[in-house]
Amino acid sequence: MIKLGHESKQQDISRKLVSNLINNCVMKRIDFLKRAGLGLVTAQIVACKTESVDPTSSSSSSSSSSTTTSGSTNTSCTSTPSETEGPFPTKTPSSLVQSNITSDRTGTKLTIKINIQNKNASCAGLANAIVDIWHCDAAGNYSEYGGTGMQATNYTTVHFLRGRQVTDSTGLVTFTSIYPGWYSSRAPHIHVHVYNSSGTSLLVTQIAFPEDISKIVYAQGVYASHGQADTTNAKDNVFGDGVTYEMSTVTGNTTDGYVLTHNIVVSA
Amino acid sequence: MSKGIIQLCYRKIIDANSTKLWDKYVFDDTHQEFFMQAQLYHQEGKLKTYHEILEKNPQAEKLQFLVSTAAVGYIQQLNGIVPEITNAFGKLCLSFENFRFEIIQSHISDKQQHKIAIYFYSKPLLWIDTIANQLLVSHSTDLQEEHETDLIALQPLLNISSFKATPILN
Repeated sequence: MIKLGHESKQQDISRKLVSNLINNCVMKRIDFLKRAGLGLVTAQIVACKTESVDPTSSSSSSSSSSTTTSGSTNTSCTSTPSETEGPFPTKTPSSLVQSNITSDRTGTKLTIKINIQNKNASCAGLANAIVDIWHCDAAGNYSEYGGTGMQATNYTTVHFLRGRQVTDSTGLVTFTSIYPGWYSSRAPHIHVHVYNSSGTSLLVTQIAFPEDISKIVYAQGVYASHGQADTTNAKDNVFGDGVTYEMSTVTGNTTDGYVLTHNIVVSA
Repeated sequence: MSKGIIQLCYRKIIDANSTKLWDKYVFDDTHQEFFMQAQLYHQEGKLKTYHEILEKNPQAEKLQFLVSTAAVGYIQQLNGIVPEITNAFGKLCLSFENFRFEIIQSHISDKQQHKIAIYFYSKPLLWIDTIANQLLVSHSTDLQEEHETDLIALQPLLNISSFKATPILN
């Protein structure tokens, strides 16, 4: 069983919206809901004092603003309808959509800058591509359910070191994370899945790390107890055929953290 | 006098026939996430349904986790209150912290076939007695105190998912 980490708060959710996934993410509403939630949870010993939060109560309204009954002038002299207490469901992005994917994991800071380029446009930056990344923590564990997938999860602590961003006009996405650890028989790597703006897969690939820098990172901090990676890029079953196109550029130091830059070319 | 400490689990099913707004959001977004994530496992596009993909690639079992990411934001909007299960007053009354997400069936392009379940596991309840088809429960498991109670009707998709015997008091 792999321990699940703490999800970042909703406030950390990126404002970058994937057009057909996300629509209106009303952050103020979510903040309100979260505050309401604290009240409900702390009151749980006093049985059933909470008002209904059945989402059916909001189905007549499309999203967020239906509770506002004050502050406007009622000119038709009709009774102001009573409003059921919230919360009201609001369109919200996947919990993957965040730029800081560290969650509760500790390690040497790594800023990940990935440029997506379009082979069909002379390798110009590809805007509005969806980029998923995921990698293991300092101990070599991924955030995912246990082997059977039948394990209940705390809804506030769902995943770590997984993220999704949409490329800007230059084709760039940026994530804040930690330097990946390693696990047996694989060289250190980051997984990347690139989609077009409608979610159709363009490429699944992995990013390799310079071995000299990994050696420095794995000799210190939370990585030290796990030791040095047991597999070189040359012996890796993914990178073993060469890392010409998978090797990243990594600069920095263990005090200030590292910055990874990498270009990925897709046909879009 | 109580029977024990239990957890109730409500299996909420969402499919193309779901009409509530929350359900529709979860339906739409989890299907889109299934479409996206399933491409990790059927890159040639020949496999269409969840079970076809799973049969060819047991690793695709991870789709349960990967697709759940699209539902998490909506589950958080529930503020820890199990939907739809009410007490005798018709009020929602079960708190939860843990959930489980299940893809019952899905199809990468035929959204009508998409069907998922979310299991909501209640916080521990003291099961005091059963009256007709209703469980008499307390939200406090402290046996020494007087506690407020609720009657919760037994119903389809609501299960007692765990049991722990309470100590016998003299």
